[in-house]
Amino acid sequence: MRWLLSSLFFKSPFENLQKHADKVKECAVLFKRAAELHMRGNYKEFEAITDEVARLESEADAIKRNIRNHLPRGILMPVDKFQFFQYIREQDKVMDEIEETLFWLSFKKGSILEELKEDFLNLIDLVIKPVNLLSPLVNQAKIYFKTHLDNDRNKVKAICRDIRQWEREADFVEKEIKFKIFEGISDAFLIFYLIRLTEYIGSIADHAENASDMMRAMIAR
Amino acid sequence: MAANIGANDLANAMGTSVGSRAITIRQAVIISMIANALGAVLAGGHVTNTISKGIINPQLLSAEPDKFIIGMFASLLAAGIWVNIATYLGLPVSTTHSIVGAVIGFGILSIGIANICWKKVVPIVLSWITSPVAGAVIGGGIYVFVERKILRTKDPYKASLAYSPILIFLVFVVLILSLIFKGLKNLHLNLSFMNALLISVPVAVLFGFLGKYYIKWQVKRHISANEERGYSLVESLFAQLQLLTACYVAFAHGANDVANAVGPWAAIFSAIKSKSVSLRVHVPLWMLLIGGIAVGGGLMAFGANVIKTIGENITEINPIRGFCAEFGAATTILVCSRLGLPISTTHVIVGSVVGIGIARGAGTLDLRILKNICISWLVTLPFTLLLAMLLYKILIYLIL
Repeated sequence: MRWLLSSLFFKSPFENLQKHADKVKECAVLFKRAAELHMRGNYKEFEAITDEVARLESEADAIKRNIRNHLPRGILMPVDKFQFFQYIREQDKVMDEIEETLFWLSFKKGSILEELKEDFLNLIDLVIKPVNLLSPLVNQAKIYFKTHLDNDRNKVKAICRDIRQWEREADFVEKEIKFKIFEGISDAFLIFYLIRLTEYIGSIADHAENASDMMRAMIAR
Repeated sequence: MAANIGANDLANAMGTSVGSRAITIRQAVIISMIANALGAVLAGGHVTNTISKGIINPQLLSAEPDKFIIGMFASLLAAGIWVNIATYLGLPVSTTHSIVGAVIGFGILSIGIANICWKKVVPIVLSWITSPVAGAVIGGGIYVFVERKILRTKDPYKASLAYSPILIFLVFVVLILSLIFKGLKNLHLNLSFMNALLISVPVAVLFGFLGKYYIKWQVKRHISANEERGYSLVESLFAQLQLLTACYVAFAHGANDVANAVGPWAAIFSAIKSKSVSLRVHVPLWMLLIGGIAVGGGLMAFGANVIKTIGENITEINPIRGFCAEFGAATTILVCSRLGLPISTTHVIVGSVVGIGIARGAGTLDLRILKNICISWLVTLPFTLLLAMLLYKILIYLIL
């Protein structure tokens, strides 16, 4: 019977999900530093940090694969498995987008005009905020699935709300930057480059919000 | 065999209470030893009777007591071998099923296939379905109740204080009714259901009130030490409720499984002593006591270690889930045996845990284990049947 009960419980995938979220947070910190270095023209260090982000991304990928490959049919989770997979997909996309943004930045040196630098840094700050909340979100959800207390559920909901709020603000700043780009720049090539860059940065927050929407669905009842 | 049962099964019942620090390991060992010995001595005899005479009628063998002795010995051996093989393979088999299968095997050879009481086999087959389903429905139901009424409230601590007398009341009603109908059957109380209710309800109300004050006293101690009304307080309340159900599990274990180990031994002993095969094998009290002591010895020797490992390893079973699962199982066993449905304790508990999982209350469950359970249930009867036949033939050849 002892064997039976201990084997009936499967290792919770939320532990690995937390590790994944922590990697995402690490990436976000590096992303901001890399963007600042790029704007300052320190391309050598920028490249080094980009490599570091790529390494973190592949580590996170391994965690994601591990979670997916170890949840076969016949495992009953406290949440809908499909929603859980959707969540991890979105959380992983946050990292993918950070990596893509850094790659895009590396394609063209000195591309961010002086008058736009502050706007971009502001946008990056706003985008990082919801990303940084993913780790506490997973942690709080883990607590809720253990206790099932209403209070803990409300805390998860509160973090979801904060993430949505930051994403909305980032969206607003993204639009403003696009206005400025179209108003102040006439070089079509540069417009394409900067608009694409803005969208890349904006999509980081979009995926963080998608992830939190999935978490909200997971705790629904 | 009894010592082995003690170390594993009983430790399991107490593991979660120790894991949640409701009691210490030493307390757990002492409590389960006492409850188990009481179960074995007060309630053991009945089960033993069924095993030795229910399936085959020993009177058919009254002319050949030697054959009966060898047959029972072969049955015990076959069942023991199968339980050990199954444990090695990690298959959760029922000891009762193994012995029943082995007795059928020996019966086929000695008195013929037509003389076996097949009516007794049908309930065993039925129990493969009824135990997990009933356990799941009742365990899940209790969890849903606890979640709606306690966990989902604004102040779950206050809610659990408000509901705990009711829960204590329900636990006592179920435990006392179980004791009357299942546990103390060989005291021949012959109470009707209404009379039993009349006894259990007032006692349970009394304990509900006592429990209320006990918890209030506990709370005062806790609050002064820990100002925060957090989850840990709710958890500690449930850990204490769980202790009650754990005692019941230990008692029921003493009543059922000690008899399993001692039963065939009793049959052999009685046959040797009287040189005849009696219709009713009476298990002497001292034999049950030895069984109970052996289990206790097993607990003393290995219990602390096993309890520690379980308490630490099964972190997924927190006191709330543990309480729901065990109380669900105890209720299921009571209700089903009143309705005359056959059930198997271990599998009711598994069903109960899965039921809580389906109600989204448990952690991540591996339902593939259910496949193993089904296989082990299906294999147990034919395997022990054939093995007992083989051993019987060999022993008859060697001895007679």
